[in-house]
Amino acid sequence: MSLQTLGKGALRVAKNYTKGYSDVQAKVRDATSNDPWGPSGSQMNEIAQMTYDQNHFVEIMEMLDKRLNDKGKNWRHVWKSLTLLDYLVHAGSENVVIYFKDNLYIVKTLKEFQYVDEYSKDQGANVRQKAKDISNLLMDDERLRRERRTRRDMRDRLVGGKG
Amino acid sequence: YPTRPVDKDKAEAELAITIKKATNADETAPKQKHVRRCIVYTWDYHSSQSLWAGLRVQPILSDEVQTFKALILVHKVLQEGHPIVLKEAQNQTGWLETCARTVGNDGQKGYGSLIRAYVAFILAKLRFHRIHTEFNGLFEYEEYISLKNIDDPNEGYETISDLMNLQDQIESFQKLIFSHFRGSTNNECRISALVPLVKESYGIYRFITSMLRAMHRRTDDMDALEPLRQRYNAQHYALRKFYYECSNLKYLTGLINVPKLGQEPPNLDDSGT
Repeated sequence: MSLQTLGKGALRVAKNYTKGYSDVQAKVRDATSNDPWGPSGSQMNEIAQMTYDQNHFVEIMEMLDKRLNDKGKNWRHVWKSLTLLDYLVHAGSENVVIYFKDNLYIVKTLKEFQYVDEYSKDQGANVRQKAKDISNLLMDDERLRRERRTRRDMRDRLVGGKG
Repeated sequence: YPTRPVDKDKAEAELAITIKKATNADETAPKQKHVRRCIVYTWDYHSSQSLWAGLRVQPILSDEVQTFKALILVHKVLQEGHPIVLKEAQNQTGWLETCARTVGNDGQKGYGSLIRAYVAFILAKLRFHRIHTEFNGLFEYEEYISLKNIDDPNEGYETISDLMNLQDQIESFQKLIFSHFRGSTNNECRISALVPLVKESYGIYRFITSMLRAMHRRTDDMDALEPLRQRYNAQHYALRKFYYECSNLKYLTGLINVPKLGQEPPNLDDSGT
């Protein structure tokens, strides 16, 4: 880990504080930061569980919306938000699905996302592909239901059934 | 009424700046982030009035590159914006015609005929959508339309002919764009107009294919469909060539997947997909 990224982490903590972000929003910001790693499975799972709480849900959507509409230079924000969204659509509350079907154009219009970094590497390609995949999934009710059910079954099995 | 967390006053103020940036005089593609903002605006507020008003305020008509970029912006918002944009655009034909009239014969940078052809195409597109309100701006595939029209074969025939007319217009416009490439300079601005054309032509192609298949399944009178079949085949070869030429443009393939059509047109009699 370079000193520079350490510094960024500290800055994010300060920003969470000064901008008055809630703990829930700070978690979303952490999961979708400019750090070149993550978001981790456990981070995404924690956020997914929080979407079942209505107040938390609203806060999470608010932050996700901000990150998804970030500029090209922050392509990692966009890319990780899509990664998180993909996870939430599978494992989060049904409200996530409803919200993003309603606002599908936010994801759909990222299909032509462009950003070429200072080494002329096309960093937009990952965003474009992910935006395509998620839009297709959101438009296919049957597949969405199937994939959500599979995820739930797998989860139930892993935690050893309910009760 | 957007469910997203938005601020209308801020959005209005930003839209004006966004339009200005999307249509600046740099001979490049209109930046997608600005185009995207305009599209998102129409979904957030179910309106495109501020967009049209914003386009009129900008000194777009005094510069051929700016005019051309404005038309690309308009085309993309018609395709991907809220369906209301297609309706509201019907009142903007006057402004579009002014775009075509104002530009000099071929302009200094050679955009004159491209602008006139683009306006002609957008007007044709608007005419189509005025009559066939069931289609969205990108002709995205929805099975129910192909089912709806075969109950009335005459209406189906009519719709397919109209779609094919629009496809022919895309064909002649894209050829014009290719013929205006300039060897030494970068052609990004011209190429960026091909992006919405590739998407639109493929949407139309898929629709025609599925509608023609449905009609073949339902009718015993194959002869009646022969003219459509002939035209379909000709369009298939033309489109295949168009996509092949596009697949050699690095800027374009970096941005969208250019479809690849089979060597021969698909058989319309079988029920495969």
